Amino acid sequence: MSAAPRHAGPPDAVLGVTPRLAIEPATVPEAAEALRALAADGLAVTFVGGGTDLELGAPPARLDAVLHTRRLSRIREHAPADQIVAVEAGITIAELQRALAAHGQRLALDPPFPERATAGGVVAANAFGPRRTRFGPVRDLVIGMTLVRADGVVARGGGKVVKNVAGFDLPRLLCGSLGTLGLVAEVVFRLHPLPEASATVTVAGLSAAQVRAAAVAALDDRLEPVALAALGEGAGFRLAFRFEGFGPGVAEQAERLAGSLAREGRAVERLAGPDEAAIWARHEALRGGGDVRARASFAPAALAAAVEALRPLEGALRGGALVLHPVLGIALVAGRLEDAAAAALAIEDARTALARGAGAPRPGVVGTLVLTAAPPALRALADPWGPPPPALELMRRLKRELDPDGRLAPGRFAGGI
Amino acid sequence: MTRAAPRPTLDETVRRLEAALGAEHVLTDPADLLVYEADGLTHGRTRPAVVVLPGSTDDVVALVRIAREAGLPLVPRGAGTGLSGGARPVEGGAVVSLSRMRRILELDLENGWARVEPGVINLDVSRAVAGAGYYYAPDPSSQGVCSIGGNVAENSGGAHCLKYGFTTNHVLHARVVLSDGSVVDLGGPAADAPGYDLLAALVGSEGLVAIVTEVTLRLLRRPEVTRTFFATFPSTDEAGAAVSGIIAAGILPAAIEMMDRLAIEAAKAATGLDWPDVGAALLMDADGPRAEVEHVSARAIEIARAAGALEVRVPRDEAERQLMWKGRKSAFAAVGRISPSYLVEDGVIPRSEIARVLREITRLAAAAGLRVANVFHAGDGNLHPLVLYDARNPGEEARAAALGGEILRLCIRSGGSITGEHGVGAEKAAYMAEQFGPDDLETMQRVRCAFDGAALLNPGKVFPTPRLCGEKPGPYRPHPAELAGLAERW
Repeated sequence: MSAAPRHAGPPDAVLGVTPRLAIEPATVPEAAEALRALAADGLAVTFVGGGTDLELGAPPARLDAVLHTRRLSRIREHAPADQIVAVEAGITIAELQRALAAHGQRLALDPPFPERATAGGVVAANAFGPRRTRFGPVRDLVIGMTLVRADGVVARGGGKVVKNVAGFDLPRLLCGSLGTLGLVAEVVFRLHPLPEASATVTVAGLSAAQVRAAAVAALDDRLEPVALAALGEGAGFRLAFRFEGFGPGVAEQAERLAGSLAREGRAVERLAGPDEAAIWARHEALRGGGDVRARASFAPAALAAAVEALRPLEGALRGGALVLHPVLGIALVAGRLEDAAAAALAIEDARTALARGAGAPRPGVVGTLVLTAAPPALRALADPWGPPPPALELMRRLKRELDPDGRLAPGRFAGGI
Repeated sequence: MTRAAPRPTLDETVRRLEAALGAEHVLTDPADLLVYEADGLTHGRTRPAVVVLPGSTDDVVALVRIAREAGLPLVPRGAGTGLSGGARPVEGGAVVSLSRMRRILELDLENGWARVEPGVINLDVSRAVAGAGYYYAPDPSSQGVCSIGGNVAENSGGAHCLKYGFTTNHVLHARVVLSDGSVVDLGGPAADAPGYDLLAALVGSEGLVAIVTEVTLRLLRRPEVTRTFFATFPSTDEAGAAVSGIIAAGILPAAIEMMDRLAIEAAKAATGLDWPDVGAALLMDADGPRAEVEHVSARAIEIARAAGALEVRVPRDEAERQLMWKGRKSAFAAVGRISPSYLVEDGVIPRSEIARVLREITRLAAAAGLRVANVFHAGDGNLHPLVLYDARNPGEEARAAALGGEILRLCIRSGGSITGEHGVGAEKAAYMAEQFGPDDLETMQRVRCAFDGAALLNPGKVFPTPRLCGEKPGPYRPHPAELAGLAERW
């Protein structure tokens, strides 16, 4: 069996660029064969999963073919006793979670649009949700990977055991690489048990500084929320803490937190069941709203300064909203584009302010803003990635080693890679 | 290249290094070189041509440039506690010891960050922030002596990585020197720096991609409470069933460690602990918020009893808890009390295979006429079989090494790995070709080439067959001998 390319049409377009060919392999060997054929013809290809993060990055500079992973959608192996699952790239997160839930387990990853987002896409785009506070980014949950290189060679890294330091860490290296180093064809994830209980405590009417202070106070009190996010409400924020685990532990933590917040005179709500689901659904709606979305990263202690830096962008968008992840040092802005020039200016100002950061200059990268979705009018004025990363030359060398002809999603990635 | 400049001699190179770093930081006296001949894996020794002790990033840049011009291979070395020969010198090469670079540069508790030089001892990071209620999570057994730079190279774990992850989950940024002498900052420390996750390529690369001169680590708050229990079992079968039962109940212990009869005997001999003579023992930590931990501990103890625990002990106080952990952490060295020589192996198996694999190890050991003590991180299936032997008996050392190899193959066959935390280094490069295929290894080598195209850093380690960078390997063609069924792929 082989996956014969078909003629592509508008539904196959990537950020407005329509390819000539579309390929939908159903197995990893078929995907490898397809990539070998593309290599032989020198054709450029972009990999597409559920399309939920297709707006991340720049449009491909060259696009002859798209490779859809939707038919690569099997669970290859689920070992509940070992808490691992091996899946093909195209399975949706929701379908995977349903299969795992039957065994009392889950993938502790809660990206937006789980009914469409695919395992491979989430890995390639480094997508995340509020539980990242406890379980870390996708790289902390990926333990093995099968990738297909630009030349069609199939390579594996990692394995099926959580603890494994044999060889270079190809699986983590591919996390967030947006299909520019190879096709993420299969992924092995570590799993976690489904919690017995869940509770959310919210506190409204906080400033950004108060959000950070409340988060720090809870952590200093040795509470361990699995998710912690602040949702913009008017000029302030509603901060939501989610606890998961065994019944007694969840109840005690929620009670302790609600008690200490109430003693400070705050308006506290304890949510369970549908009310709890509703507040986290609002989190999803806020971060996913509009046609402009941005993700700012910064030193967590600089949350208030970061919010100051992002307010003009929020204000430049229609229905602009902010979502803060105060422990991660991440803020999300979403809204509708009104005036592209004003938005582009606000983005540039925010980048300058975030890069300055708070306190003494530090080595490494502190304070960036990435556009995760934007209409063409804004893209024409603002680079989605911002200034090139400091290790750009090394990143280019890595790209050349794995994709010497620059055929995998050329131009999509940071620094024009 | 337009002209082939003659390469400087070793003497000339040493003079240049002395001029750049100061003569006292360049060692060539055979007596001074002795300590650098091996790392923690002492049976493989190679004398380096020279040992260099840089004191700063600038020093590292200078020495890398000099070495590159001379074609002098460089082997980075932390505290030398590695157990896979990763810091073993390369014949005729230099060892770069980062032990002088041991300043804690910045403690930023507001953000939970510690910026340190690579020679800083693992435990000293935790000590520096303990007063404020913070710690650095990865806790290899050698944490009192091993260095952060070495931890980065090896992606070190430890007993508590089951819950808290490995070094790779705690490194936020690294400043490194590449083999072309350039200084590059990799990663954050803020989240999601745009671009490739180059830290993923660095951490666990065993000194093959760069020399680390600065690292920013993530600090964690100490959990509210930690509850520990020690349980004994008739055999590793029941202990293995207890581990599986605890995990199946949805419990994520902070650590869950297993020892078999021989390991218990050794730990008792070394520490004087009053542990009974039993077939197996478990030591488990649960940590986190109080109510959660009390619930989880009680539940885990119930499960251990139901699985056939003979006795469950709960430490009365922190001192007794520390003593229990001392028994576990001293088990490697303690084996020296019951055997004149021993090999420390490191392999990983799926957790559900523990009981079966241990029985198989016992069978392999009996067939080799040797004893194996087992101490391991049961929660993540990371085995540390200790192969006991007497080097004075002719042939016994070779038999022990062969048995160690058989155990690694057993791990691979069981769907696991040849190393969970000690690394591949010099010792296990040959087994890489059994765990990975040629295309897997060739892809990893391409990553190495992106960082170190000159293959100047730690050559000959990790990969069974070195590849020249820039070489475009053709498609795989079976060797004629292989087609004839005479040889396996090597």
